[in-house]
Amino acid sequence: MTLRQPEAGPVSAAADAGGANAMFLSSDARWEMVDALAARTVSPGSYEPSLADVVGELTVRPLTGIPVALAALYAFWSIFTSFAGTLMTDGFMVKIFDGYWLPWLQSVWPDPASWHYFIFVGNPLADNSLEAFGVLTSGFFVSIGVVLPAVLIFYLTMTILEDSGYLPRLAVLMDTFLHKIGLHGYAIVPAILGLGCNVPAVTATRILETKKQRFIMMTLLALFIPCGAQLGIMMAVIPESVGIVFLCLLIGFGLFGFILSRLIPGENPEILVDVPAYHWPVKEYVAQKLWNRTKAFLREAIPFVLFGILLVNLLYLGGVIPALADLLEPVFVVWFGVPKETAGPLIAAFLRKDLAIAQLSNIPMTPYQLVASVVLVTIYFPCVATFVVMLREGWRELLASIAVLLTVVFIYGGMIHGIGILLGVA
Amino acid sequence: MAANGEDVTTVLMIGNPNVGKSALFNRMTGANAVVSNYPGTTVDFTKGTLIEGNRTYVIIDVPGTYSLEPRDAAEEVAVRMLRHRPDATVMIVLDATRIERGLYLALEVMELGMPCILAVNMIDAAHEKQITVDTAELQRLLGVPVIPTTAISGEGVRSLAEMLRKARVADVMDISGRLKGDPPAAGGRACFGCGGCGGR
Amino acid sequence: MKKRLSDLAPDETGIIEAIDGPVHDLMCLGLRVGKTVKMVTKQPVKGPVVVLSGEVEIAMGIGTAQRVMVIVTPQEA
Ligand SMILES: Nc1nc2c(ncn2[C@@H]2O[C@H](COP(=O)(O)OP(=O)(O)OP(=O)(O)O)[C@@H](O)[C@H]2O)c(=O)[nH]1
Ligand SMILES: [Mg+2]
Repeated sequence: MTLRQPEAGPVSAAADAGGANAMFLSSDARWEMVDALAARTVSPGSYEPSLADVVGELTVRPLTGIPVALAALYAFWSIFTSFAGTLMTDGFMVKIFDGYWLPWLQSVWPDPASWHYFIFVGNPLADNSLEAFGVLTSGFFVSIGVVLPAVLIFYLTMTILEDSGYLPRLAVLMDTFLHKIGLHGYAIVPAILGLGCNVPAVTATRILETKKQRFIMMTLLALFIPCGAQLGIMMAVIPESVGIVFLCLLIGFGLFGFILSRLIPGENPEILVDVPAYHWPVKEYVAQKLWNRTKAFLREAIPFVLFGILLVNLLYLGGVIPALADLLEPVFVVWFGVPKETAGPLIAAFLRKDLAIAQLSNIPMTPYQLVASVVLVTIYFPCVATFVVMLREGWRELLASIAVLLTVVFIYGGMIHGIGILLGVA
Repeated sequence: MAANGEDVTTVLMIGNPNVGKSALFNRMTGANAVVSNYPGTTVDFTKGTLIEGNRTYVIIDVPGTYSLEPRDAAEEVAVRMLRHRPDATVMIVLDATRIERGLYLALEVMELGMPCILAVNMIDAAHEKQITVDTAELQRLLGVPVIPTTAISGEGVRSLAEMLRKARVADVMDISGRLKGDPPAAGGRACFGCGGCGGR
Repeated sequence: MKKRLSDLAPDETGIIEAIDGPVHDLMCLGLRVGKTVKMVTKQPVKGPVVVLSGEVEIAMGIGTAQRVMVIVTPQEA
């Protein structure tokens, strides 16, 4: 047997297992022993397909599997929009924040004309917590009022997806498409994790076999996969544009994946993966995971959102953002077709994408501009947390990724503008 | 005694992907490693502590791997951990319903000459499929403790923890000899006293 | 009858006779010479196949499946 031997170490496969002093067996000799051991200790069961096996086959066969996948997606979407969007945010959180919290803060905070009022409470004339844009008003509203309920639902669904055993089957269904863009079906795992949060998704690219695959997946993650927090706020503040934004991201994912797979040297091996049996998600694990992720969200997201607003407001007061907006105006207006005020959200987007979307929704824009700017904010740069884990996976890859990223933002942003002009909406 | 750091043993959890290593790890250490039903859940290592009797174990949950020739970056983490801690004890975790490929990795690890202990996990699933694994016989043949466990219910985890100190180096040539030669009779040598035989 | 694994029809069963090319990864997953495999599904347009061998279910690319030769087990035994 020829075996890859990455480095000289204790793990060497000596060919002659028969040799008197051979410490290491050949692979064949090892398998022989495995068979002998198994023959003496394992008695196979009578195989009869269980319900899980039947469901397993149904969800992996194309004729039935694809409808099942679409139905699951649709069910997820409706639960997500109705629970997070309508029930929690509009029905409950908005009443609390707009009805009590904001008016109360506006009435007790001294001196509406002062800088500290601007930073912490925001616009004194605002009648809702989104527009006020103070640290204590929009900061808490965005993170707790909007994003928290959304990510809760999101985490729950993801946990069920992960624990049931559906992901490897989805990987089979997606393999043909993903193979065209330099990946294989199992790349669906980091992609789905990325919809929750890009941070664990970047590390999860380790399950791909080659450097090429990992690089493509990481770059596409940073570019086109919005995280749960961002999805949540999009559902809440720009529900009518979410569909088209998603479409833009999906097309970008396919298009630039295809281009990258042609440009980047390296191999793209085929999928080879174990498909575990389905089982009911274990309640304990679901609860534990949900709790851990929520805890992480409370600990990491909220401080970042608050800090983000603080920073953006300070930069406004210091005149940095207006100056930057003027500087970037030609690029924004001429090339991307979005208002120059988008400069502010772009800065916020580096800290938290959800914050950036909240900020964008306050800028007066045409529907086209809204879609274009939301797509821009999504793709233009990974948030700082993602940036840090990408760095941990290798700085060379990170630098290359960023180079690709900036190019793609420029090209794709321009393309969307061009299409907008052709359609007469831009 | 445990506090002076002399009695701290490092335990690496090695096994195929998706056999329940992280679930076992959480049970033993009270940690919160992510458990999911797909291979490749764990892509980095996590440490936890287990205090058992007067010993302290630092248990490390690592990514699953099919062999010691890594196929991807996650498997590489597992192999690197083995290489960098030659004095650690290895807890090899097997899936009772898919014993064979687990044994292949187990043999590969045993050849490294590190003290080993085997956990045959998912006993409940095997039971459901009417697969039986003779762990006592496996223990005798391998010459290291073999403990049946079910991580999701916690069954066998207690004795796994107790038996950690009985982990020992397996001699592959001896295993081969036992497989060829002596019939399953003289059970004296490989008996570790408790737990492992499950009372048989 | 001898066939490539990739040519098995869904639900058809065979015994692995030989594997061309690198075998290590396949063996580690449980696909070895002498093992019985059943085709579970084949995805359209040269998509991956899913096979079942004992308790082990494996998804693999069509190119990998083409390297595996099987002897078809007569149906209705
Ligand atoms: N029936 C049964 N299921 C189990 C048992 N232990 C773990 N599981 C399930 O097996 C799946 C895999 O468990 P993990 O702990 O994530 O497996 P792992 O070995 O850490 O997997 P990787 O991190 O991918 O290498 C999960 O869905 C668990 O719920 C068990 O004893 N019995
Ligand atoms: Mg794990």
